[in-house]
Amino acid sequence: MAATLSAAFNVEEHGASYGTPAGPSVIIDPPGGKLPYLPGMRERALDNDQHRERDPVGQCHMHGVPRVMFPPFPLEILQDGNYVVILAETEHGVRIIPTDGRPFLKDYSSWNGDSRGRWEGDTLVVEVRGLNGRSWLDQAGNFVGSGARIVERFRLTGKDTLNYEATLENPSVFSRPFTVRVPLRRRPADVELLEYGCIEGERDAVHLPPVDGERR
Amino acid sequence: MTRHALVWMLFGSLAWAQTPSPDLRGIWQATGSAYQNLEGSPAQAGRLAAKSAVINPASGKIPYRADSRKSLDRNFRERGTADPLLACFQPGVPRAVLLPEPFQIFQSSDRVVIVYQHVHAYRVIFTDGRPHYDDGIEFYMGDSRGRWEGNTLVVDVTNFKPETWLDGAGNFHGSKLHVVERYTRTADNTMRYEATIEDPEVFEGPWTVRVDLARHTEPNFQLVEHECERDARGIYRHPPQFLK
Repeated sequence: MAATLSAAFNVEEHGASYGTPAGPSVIIDPPGGKLPYLPGMRERALDNDQHRERDPVGQCHMHGVPRVMFPPFPLEILQDGNYVVILAETEHGVRIIPTDGRPFLKDYSSWNGDSRGRWEGDTLVVEVRGLNGRSWLDQAGNFVGSGARIVERFRLTGKDTLNYEATLENPSVFSRPFTVRVPLRRRPADVELLEYGCIEGERDAVHLPPVDGERR
Repeated sequence: MTRHALVWMLFGSLAWAQTPSPDLRGIWQATGSAYQNLEGSPAQAGRLAAKSAVINPASGKIPYRADSRKSLDRNFRERGTADPLLACFQPGVPRAVLLPEPFQIFQSSDRVVIVYQHVHAYRVIFTDGRPHYDDGIEFYMGDSRGRWEGNTLVVDVTNFKPETWLDGAGNFHGSKLHVVERYTRTADNTMRYEATIEDPEVFEGPWTVRVDLARHTEPNFQLVEHECERDARGIYRHPPQFLK
């Protein structure tokens, strides 16, 4: 599967700029397509945009949810018994989603979270907790904070098209829940994920400034 | 009556023998300490003696070419800093299988997917006969192509980058590494793992390691996220809970 490109650059509507193609907002709620930041939070996102070296993905970290679902690289989805597995080519990211009704892990903090899935008719509904609050939503510096809870909905809309929606609730950063919708398209059957290396042989990391929350 | 029963038994066992039902799914982990040194190690402070995991040759020794010894000795001396695993590189094969961390096997009709907890490395192993990549493209985890031989999953792994090590003692390979792995269930919760390793630029001939794998059966057991973080100097390091 692969997502349309523009959400990876900026989940909000944006014009073209150096290295960034223009794109529409993928936010379907609230109406108007803007992230419902609390006062002061949009300024932080704009400051991030001026300091993209802080982007956790640029520091070889996994994308976090929901950004991991619309990177400019392919994903592989595998269903096997009590699990749905999502492999991201970029950062060799992994999500293993049990669908057997087991409880969430306690006191868990991670980039890609702790996911629990269930089927509602033909829709896979995934609840995500245990996120570390350090992820960005896109390359433009939009971000999530600690305590985020996410509900994702995956539904096939055709033989080769998948609708992905994520509703994010994060009262430390946003005034209300918001929902993104990104369509994904199936790649031909002979496409294989390739290996992605980031940390391997990294010799410039020592020159990068620290990112929020990083131990220095 | 007796003859009827015999026919049923014969048919029953034939059907059982012919049904290809190799199911390797589950969360597995290597037993023993081959990850420290494939050739085993004598007892030392805080550590039990370990037998060599090398079953061929019978000496339990890796058949290095004479001109590889210098690199091996240097690796061993500098293993505390030079091991690429310490810098969070993907571990390579067979080292990923042998590490003291769980991995999960998923299967579908045309592929086996293995997700290692260690730095969330994964392998997608097609079993539908599609060929390897050509020479010239290299991977830390290699390029894996699988096939079923009875109840054994046989995986042919090529196209390796030469940087990874084979264990924590500095055993190493070059860019001509070729690994053939064999995964065979031996009981509900045990699997035998064998890897035959060759690299004519480093070894005098092929050699084989064997390690028993055990399945995690704890209720709701799951892999957790093992992601490296930069330390105060900006170097990627494993979180302390994963260091063994």
